[in-house]
Amino acid sequence: MNLIAVGLNHRTAPIEIRERLFFTDDEIQKSLAELTESMLNEAVLFSTCNRTELYGLTGENVLNGDTIVEYLIRTKNASDVALPVHFYTFFSCGAVHHLFKMTSGADSMVIGDIQILGQVKDAYALARKTQTTGIITHKLFENAFHVGKRVRTETELCEGAISISYAAVELAGKIFDDLGKKRALLIGAGETGELTAKHLIGRGIGSLVVVNRTRSKAEEIVSQLGGSVVDFESISSELTNIDIIISSISTPGFVMREVDLRRVMRERSNDPLFIIDIGMPRNIDPAAKKIENVFLYDIDTLNRMIDQNLDKRKTEIPKVNRIIFEELSSFHRWFDSLQVSPTIQQLHEVIESIRSDEVQKHINRFAESDRKLVELLTKRIVNKILHTPVINLRNGNGASDEEILKKISTIRHLFGLEHKSHDT
Amino acid sequence: MKNLIDGTTILLPLLYTFTVWIYARAFFTNAASLEPVKRGFLLITLCIHLAYLLLRTVVFGHPPITTVFEIMSVISFSVSVAYLYLEMRTRVRGTGTFIIVLALFFQVVSSIFIKDLYEVKPVLRSTLLGFHVSTALLGLTAFAISAVYGSLYLMLYHDIKANRFGVIYKRLPSLEILTTLSFKSTIFGFILLTTAITIGFIWLPRAFQSFSYTDPKLIGTFLIWALYGIGLLAKKIGGLHGRRLMILAITGFVIAFFSMTIINMFFSSFHNFY
Repeated sequence: MNLIAVGLNHRTAPIEIRERLFFTDDEIQKSLAELTESMLNEAVLFSTCNRTELYGLTGENVLNGDTIVEYLIRTKNASDVALPVHFYTFFSCGAVHHLFKMTSGADSMVIGDIQILGQVKDAYALARKTQTTGIITHKLFENAFHVGKRVRTETELCEGAISISYAAVELAGKIFDDLGKKRALLIGAGETGELTAKHLIGRGIGSLVVVNRTRSKAEEIVSQLGGSVVDFESISSELTNIDIIISSISTPGFVMREVDLRRVMRERSNDPLFIIDIGMPRNIDPAAKKIENVFLYDIDTLNRMIDQNLDKRKTEIPKVNRIIFEELSSFHRWFDSLQVSPTIQQLHEVIESIRSDEVQKHINRFAESDRKLVELLTKRIVNKILHTPVINLRNGNGASDEEILKKISTIRHLFGLEHKSHDT
Repeated sequence: MKNLIDGTTILLPLLYTFTVWIYARAFFTNAASLEPVKRGFLLITLCIHLAYLLLRTVVFGHPPITTVFEIMSVISFSVSVAYLYLEMRTRVRGTGTFIIVLALFFQVVSSIFIKDLYEVKPVLRSTLLGFHVSTALLGLTAFAISAVYGSLYLMLYHDIKANRFGVIYKRLPSLEILTTLSFKSTIFGFILLTTAITIGFIWLPRAFQSFSYTDPKLIGTFLIWALYGIGLLAKKIGGLHGRRLMILAITGFVIAFFSMTIINMFFSSFHNFY
């Protein structure tokens, strides 16, 4: 299998180099066309903030990975910063394994990252549009997507929040059922707080109220996320109708003390109140944790939750490796079946099976003395029918590997050999 | 037929045990493949249980509601049916183990102590009694389910408060859903119990010469009714929420359970029919 994979990622190159080797969709399409014209039979290229990778089939002349590395660096004019040492190259099984590991999420910067699968699917779709894919890459990426799907359904590699904002939203989902009927209050204009509010909006929070010492900053957030602005001094009057508070303000002293929250809880008939305190120093009096139906979390607690989730994901790696190995084996079995000899043998077996069944069904209509003749005659007919196609397949008649593979694939499809494998 | 009944009396606890095991396995492993299997097995168990109850009715000539242990088998069945209905009609997942284990408990006790009564007092053949007992049983079933969801709420509440994010946190539905399920079950149970008491008050004085309003069973039942009534009122006007409401739901069921068993066993009452 002349499969090659060349690329760089967050492990081999710092961001300054990765961003120089980042390809836009237009650049990808142009590069794919150039590569398949000059050195590759099939190619798929994708580029994200964490990696740029090329998968290709090299045809008759086996390529050195350096040729592709030089091409990528030259195309992006990155020779001043990028060096071959920043790249990795995989051949054959290694390339397949690397791709499967990537789509499983096990190779991501954050283990179990679910974005990568979608990004690879988009890249493959772009390569198909550019007509640089073929039978091998089609099957390869189909299996790769299957790895991603299996990992998501059969393991917990992608479960559990691994960012502060997601952890907060996940907790909210464990306390409240329908966020659409809840109101959230964002105190401050910090990045994490804003991101948390954004995630809450993504989960359908009923309404958002934003408060900041500088009203214009609060209005800026509302213009992006929606909701309403309230003066900082009016916070306490809003609290009775608020279910979720995200506090990320830098201020000495507490924005809310335990006694304030006890009063608020009485006024709101003790309905649950979820508070995320990501301010530094803390904005909410930690003693408020003791209040019934008040769920108060600071950054440390959320980070502990994230660490637990990450540890859990790591324990899923053996299951992921098993899935990768199974799909790897499946891909290799398929690839082996594309060889000419196994296909010819299976074709003979299928036709012979049909001949034999039909003869057995009708042999009793013939006299004893004629039965051997019937066997002989039907065998000769089958051999004559198969003779020319088999010779043409074996000889190739100057056809390229790609054309031969297409013929084999067509024969396998037409005669229903696709689900048969050849164990050598 | 009698042998079939005896065999099923032993079989049912085994079926429920296996059902609980499958549900527990699905809960802890989160394996999607077990979803259809566990429900299928619950359905099979319920079909066999229904056949058992019908068979007892036919063979013994009366519905199995005349002794505590017959009633326990009916409660086991109705708890499981109620859960199956909830599972099919709502998004609620992850609570089956805890509900069906209650059904298992009731069936095990029933299977161990149940007696076969061919002769029952004529008063027990009354249609009004049938309504009275049915509504009381369904009410108790609803209180049982309310108590289970109350317990689950407390487990999850304490885990969230203590920053424990293990299996309970991951698998159980939200606190709000658990509250809703528990509260709705309580309302349902209260309405049914009120109906049972009303029918009882109408029918009992006519059916029993020895009827007395100071009967231990009546007092016990009234206390349960009052407890749940006060709880519902407290939620409506007094803002009783979350943890305290769930503790009330659990306490109410425990008292109801003891009323059903201990009062029946140790106190003399016109409610004792055997």
